[in-house]
Amino acid sequence: MTDAWTHSPWVPLGALALITFSLRLSGALLGRRIPTHGAWARATRALPGCLIVALVAVSLVSGGVREWIAGIVSALVALATRNLPLTMAAGILAIWVSRRFV
Amino acid sequence: MLTYQAMLSMRDEDDSYLTGARAIAPLAVGVAIYGMAFGLLATQAGFSPFEITGMGGVVFAGSSQIVFTQQWLAGAGALAALAAAVALNLRILLITGSIPDVFAGRPFWQVALAAHLAADENWAMLLARRAAGGAAGYRFFVGAGLVQFVVWLAATTAGAVLSEAIPDPRRLGMDFAFTAAFIAIALTLFRGRADVAPWAASLAVVLIAVATGWLAPPWALVLGGVSGAAVAGVFGHD
Repeated sequence: MTDAWTHSPWVPLGALALITFSLRLSGALLGRRIPTHGAWARATRALPGCLIVALVAVSLVSGGVREWIAGIVSALVALATRNLPLTMAAGILAIWVSRRFV
Repeated sequence: MLTYQAMLSMRDEDDSYLTGARAIAPLAVGVAIYGMAFGLLATQAGFSPFEITGMGGVVFAGSSQIVFTQQWLAGAGALAALAAAVALNLRILLITGSIPDVFAGRPFWQVALAAHLAADENWAMLLARRAAGGAAGYRFFVGAGLVQFVVWLAATTAGAVLSEAIPDPRRLGMDFAFTAAFIAIALTLFRGRADVAPWAASLAVVLIAVATGWLAPPWALVLGGVSGAAVAGVFGHD
């Protein structure tokens, strides 16, 4: 582990860029040869949703009761409006209010 | 067979960059706001506006840039931040893999260009236009992708520049913007009963790993996501 790897974000970011482009290109070149059924396909399809759930869980667990309140408000706004910018605005407002008054 | 050939050639002529660019325009507003919030986050992580433009240009996968930057900012370490971001991008393999006709017969540079511009939004727009009986191929996909690319780079850079006017984003609650965004994204990704067990597994793994102090949050995140996907793979049905 060199200093560049541990202190500069550009080494892992360069790796992220290379791996992401390789994934994109592999899909384009392999096309129909990528399995669309079976365990691996199901796992890969489910992965983004599971990671997002894990991300939200980590943020809320690392926070406290104020984060949970704002999380519930955001979920309700998301359910009601299905609108991303509006949900972000509601979440910011909810955390600001609960940090101030709760 | 003849009608199919006729349909194919008609599709080819009707496929246009401009149609793709127009189709993505309504979504560009959301991308812009999300991008500006990311510019703010990346500035806190110590990136300059120029570096933020560069990151967007070479990675061009918004959610993975956000996850990487959040984890980096939280002191997760390079490997954990990279693992979480890469795991989130595995889906792009399925995105480009699901539209082989977009790449078929194109020279390598066009395949590489269309592949680099592949994102959830232009893929969804392509499928939506086809479902509505419209023509959408390489040109539509690249036209929509280019608009998204330019909007993403401009918005993230603008967010970085504007962040100078916001000295303490946490005081305004801006740090919660992406938690709220991910809650909204999770609801749109939910596909019903098939997702219940995988999502519950992810949630349980994260809660147990963090509460017991067994794993640092970034690794709890990666393990939680992978565990849920494994449940979907092993116990799910096609």
